[in-house]
Amino acid sequence: MTSNRRQRLLFATGDYLMGGGTGAATAAVVRVAIDPNLDMVLAMLFGMVLGMIAHLVIGAALSPLLGFFHLMVPGSLVGMYGGMLFAMRDTMQHPAGSLGHVAFVGVLFGFAVVAGVRVYDRALHSPHAHTDRTGGL
Amino acid sequence: MDTSCQTRWDRLSRTYDWVTWGDDQRFAEAKSRLFAKMSGNCLMVAAGTGNDFHHFPRGLTITAIDISTGMIERARPRALEYLGQLDLRVMDVQALEFPDQTFDTVATACTFCSVPDPLLGLRELHRCLKPGGHILMFEHVRSRFGPIALLQDLMTPAFRWMGPDMNRDTVGNVLRAGFEVLHEDNIYVDVVKAVEARRPPCETTKE
Repeated sequence: MTSNRRQRLLFATGDYLMGGGTGAATAAVVRVAIDPNLDMVLAMLFGMVLGMIAHLVIGAALSPLLGFFHLMVPGSLVGMYGGMLFAMRDTMQHPAGSLGHVAFVGVLFGFAVVAGVRVYDRALHSPHAHTDRTGGL
Repeated sequence: MDTSCQTRWDRLSRTYDWVTWGDDQRFAEAKSRLFAKMSGNCLMVAAGTGNDFHHFPRGLTITAIDISTGMIERARPRALEYLGQLDLRVMDVQALEFPDQTFDTVATACTFCSVPDPLLGLRELHRCLKPGGHILMFEHVRSRFGPIALLQDLMTPAFRWMGPDMNRDTVGNVLRAGFEVLHEDNIYVDVVKAVEARRPPCETTKE
């Protein structure tokens, strides 16, 4: 295996671990901090904020290793949108399962988001000329 | 000179190499590909600690500027390693001290997320570029994908104290400054881009 390929594989593994970790942390924090009897809309807003905080803490620790942008895009999607979804689940679904179960779902959600961002990145990756932006304004 | 900006980047220069290690590794190939197009008399804006110098083709004459004295001091050893002529100067891109039409190529790397008035900075670069001269930019911009763009908008106030804005329309600013965009390649989703633009060659007749 070439060193470039090995490096790409290591970064990809790191991306998935970061996504899974952010998902698990977000799901667990939301589960612990948000009262299931809270109004669902308020719970979703709090969940979003908690998810963003979880992402920022994990991001601050890992971005020097994984790269700021590769961490910021999927990590913030997991934190913000995951926080909203997990809070919605916890207020609608009684009981939502053990802490271990919600963390596991968080890991799966994180993996799914990282995979989705990678697919989106591949789709946008090919170089192209934007002739419509030439001259212009 | 914007002294608050200078002070902030002086402070950040101490940890800059450590903080950007991951990005440097992941974007190395794309930066080398972009900066391989440098030719003639070149200007590098926001040299930082010089961690992009090894992407430059050998044998060029390059002037690298940065607003931060701390960054320039840390860039000196890397400038000495460059196989060509690389001079370092402390300068604000919003008030360049070069005469009109000095450079053939301008290179930037994650610069216009942090310049306080990006349009003013780009107009200065436009002034200092020769007609037909190219600007090669490795920049991060606001995504066109709504969910990511919303996140960037929300994160910008939190990150501004550190330096960069997350949600700038840098490609739009390049056009507004009078450049023609030749290529706009997505490097990571549509947030990190390699942009190649030029000062229109026939512009001198208008001026």
